Amino acid sequence: MILQPEDFWSFSQWLLRPGAFLESALLQGIAVAIFLMILGLLFGYLVSAVRYGPVEGFYAVARVVREFVTKDLPQMRLRRIGAMARLAIKEALRRKVLVVVGVFIVALLLAGWYLDPTSNDPGRLYVSFVLTATNYLLILLALLVSTFSIPQDIKSRTIYTIVTKPVNALEIVLGRILGFAAVGTMLLVPMGVASYFFVSRGLQHSHEVEEVEDRAGELRGSTSVELGHSHTFQLDEDGQGLTELQRGHRHLVTRSSDNEFTVGPAVGLLRGRQPIYGSLEFLDRNGNPADQGLNVGYEDIGGGYGAGGLARLMGRVNRRDVYQHGYVEGGALTAAIYSFGGLDPNQFTDGLPLELSLRAFRTVKGDIVTGVRGTLSVRNPETRAESQPLTFIVKEYEVDQQFIPVKLRGTAGDVVKDLDLFTDLVTSDGRTEIVVRCIDSGQYLGMTQADLYIRAGDSSFAWNLFKAYLDLWLQMLIVISFGVMFSTFLSGPVALIATAVAVLLGMAAEWVFELSASMTPGSRRNLGGGPIESLIRLLRQDAMTTDFDLSTVPRVIIQGIDRVTVYMLDAVATALPNLPKMNTSEFVANGMNIFGALVGRHATAAVCYLLLAVMVGYFFLKTREVAG
Amino acid sequence: MGPVGTLDLFREDSSAVVATKPVPPEAAASTPAATAAAAATVIETRNLSKVYRDFWGRRKVAALKGLDIEVKRGEVFGLLGPNGSGKSTTIKLILGLLFPTTGRVLVFDRDATETAKNERIGYLPEESYLYRFLNAEETLDFYGRLFDMPADLRKQRVDELIKLVGIDRARRRQLKEYSKGMTRRVGLAQALINDPDLILLDEPTTGLDPLGSRDMKDLILQLRDQGKTVLLCSHQLADVQDVCDRIAILHQGELKELGRVEELLKVKGVTEMQATNLSEEAQREIAEVIKRHGGSLLSVDHPTTTMEDLFLNIVRESEARPGHRRVGAGGAEEPPARKAQEGVQ
Repeated sequence: MILQPEDFWSFSQWLLRPGAFLESALLQGIAVAIFLMILGLLFGYLVSAVRYGPVEGFYAVARVVREFVTKDLPQMRLRRIGAMARLAIKEALRRKVLVVVGVFIVALLLAGWYLDPTSNDPGRLYVSFVLTATNYLLILLALLVSTFSIPQDIKSRTIYTIVTKPVNALEIVLGRILGFAAVGTMLLVPMGVASYFFVSRGLQHSHEVEEVEDRAGELRGSTSVELGHSHTFQLDEDGQGLTELQRGHRHLVTRSSDNEFTVGPAVGLLRGRQPIYGSLEFLDRNGNPADQGLNVGYEDIGGGYGAGGLARLMGRVNRRDVYQHGYVEGGALTAAIYSFGGLDPNQFTDGLPLELSLRAFRTVKGDIVTGVRGTLSVRNPETRAESQPLTFIVKEYEVDQQFIPVKLRGTAGDVVKDLDLFTDLVTSDGRTEIVVRCIDSGQYLGMTQADLYIRAGDSSFAWNLFKAYLDLWLQMLIVISFGVMFSTFLSGPVALIATAVAVLLGMAAEWVFELSASMTPGSRRNLGGGPIESLIRLLRQDAMTTDFDLSTVPRVIIQGIDRVTVYMLDAVATALPNLPKMNTSEFVANGMNIFGALVGRHATAAVCYLLLAVMVGYFFLKTREVAG
Repeated sequence: MGPVGTLDLFREDSSAVVATKPVPPEAAASTPAATAAAAATVIETRNLSKVYRDFWGRRKVAALKGLDIEVKRGEVFGLLGPNGSGKSTTIKLILGLLFPTTGRVLVFDRDATETAKNERIGYLPEESYLYRFLNAEETLDFYGRLFDMPADLRKQRVDELIKLVGIDRARRRQLKEYSKGMTRRVGLAQALINDPDLILLDEPTTGLDPLGSRDMKDLILQLRDQGKTVLLCSHQLADVQDVCDRIAILHQGELKELGRVEELLKVKGVTEMQATNLSEEAQREIAEVIKRHGGSLLSVDHPTTTMEDLFLNIVRESEARPGHRRVGAGGAEEPPARKAQEGVQ
């Protein structure tokens, strides 16, 4: 899991983007709202003008707007919204949507056979599975339930008995959305609880003590193999001790008075690490500060356009806000420096627990058994006092844990002496630097800002899972809002397709942004052009890396049309909710605590989309002849 | 349909409406109370037209052409016409389910497209378009909520209406298990949930048996007596004749006739008398008297009853005397006056 710069934004940074307001979510939201409003009024006016003539048409639109402001909005009643919501719930329940929970449980039971708890990272496997399964089931269900309801009412004319009551279009649309959201909640809660037990029970295990040897009063031993791994352990004089870390967890081993050993349940198997991240800078081969580390080749992981928001659409920025791995070279002056702030000595009385997941890049075969070695040292950013380097061996593709003790030796003012972490290496306002170097010459260590952090503690796995489910719920809310919105003016199947297209385009947004960026003049990327160009390339079996081999006039025309098409697609994708960004299941799968700011951002976005959908739905339902 | 009159169904404040007797249009124009009468106009359509168009905006059919009608407070107004004459379109325009192509509809002096007018309206659609997955209680409770009625009032109204329309025993059954007639009764109950001042009934007797149909008509008259305004459209001409004060006859979207029922149906120049115990000789004498006065006798006949009366009599007799079978009754029963006379002898 590679966190991206925008994952680190606080709520206010996301909303306002200090210094880059054009990229802010607030501006994007306002722009979408204004755009929809203008589009709606224009469309409404055109329809009315055709129906009543240009002057009367204007008054008709003005009347709808006036009624919204003076009547329908202030006269909204909770009881009526509640009644519509209850109706939606009863409708869904009598259509037996709860069967989906049964399907989900069956899927879990089947998955129990196929998911391999002995794999390298079973926690990740299990959590990914349950969250992905829930996500897809829920979105599919939200699509089906929300898009058919109002068209069905219109078709069966039950809407006649509704709209002839003093309930306005706002209450009908909002009531439906909230009702279906409640149905979704009814499904999500049992699915979430089942998932929690499935994951926690499926991975919980214990071991037997297999060998114990007494080495000068110290008891050392190892456990039996369970779920594909075993642990070694060491007991203190009280007969207690923790096993070493395997697959992210430990067990407590105790020796009873009658010399029996018991191994406790796994500790730290499922967790939500709460990291403290620092900022990252590099030193180049000469030891001078550099923005980036060395580039060892193709480290391009794509994406990162979305963070540009409206500024990107306006052509004001064309950069990708994405972390690339920067490398430090072994046996040279290159180094990576992580600067942390706000460290509280009371929180870390024993020392700093670090976690790192670095990459190794080898230019020589080296010692293939031990792996590439690096060092960590702690440095005071003011006094430049630095601890002696702590050597580690890079463990690729897993999270390695290192510990910086409070007492350590180091250099302060050219004198080597015993240093105290918090008095000598951390400034009075809690700042410090962790310097990472590679010591094997010819080898490189790669990292991003998110790859080294201080683990401040753990939040509970259940709470983390809850937050991930909350994000799924918010995604469902958006899909339901869109479904109900489209169903106010489209028939059921068409509304279903429209919603599905909106969801898919939102899901593919990052790809559309990339295509759009590749088509701007001066771009070095070539993705084969827009729809027409790529179709022609396909038919002529031209590779997308070659020049578009067509005479000037048709080429300019085709590429012009493609540019316009892709730009419009880009604008729509920018306006639509980016559902993959709202998915935080990767956090849970990787045992990382989901940042509160992320959930807050997603909730805000979801509520805004809900309100927009209600407005659009209101407008269409209000201006359509339900008996037409 | 149950003991209609025994229930305290309607609000006390409706007595204010009762006090205002319907004012015939012709009288309204000539009395000093003309202004008050104008204020008592519940529905007004002005040059109302509706053209249905296809998806591309091409003209398909002109369903209504320049309709001007006024429905006064406290009257039962009937819309008549063959299929496709524009009756349902008119009702839908009044309800705001359709928007007029030209002209306007005012309901309680508000534009028909305004939601707020619905506070005082009850509507029974042509077929009872209700949620079949709800039961009768849930249905009425749902519509009560749409009127923002508080829980206790809602419960009281639902109880009253369920008893009024006679579905007490089936109140917890889902509507999909209901017969057409029973669904119709629930439909009626939902139309009355808010104790409306204006009730629109689209083919109110469709799907009802003669007993239910009679109950419906009785209810309409009862509503009128309480000062409510009723607008109905129907194919059942007899029903219209029984209950309507005024009617409008539509054909091909145009208003063909508008007026008071008794005026419209009166056959001018023909006199009808009914008498009992007339001997052949007396009849001959009367014929001569008619001749002498320059009139001509068109027919002398025994009156027949209506099928509806016959049916209702049989059902009521059967309820009073279960197991008794009326065989060979042959003709219609004698008029009540004659029976009474025989009783005296």
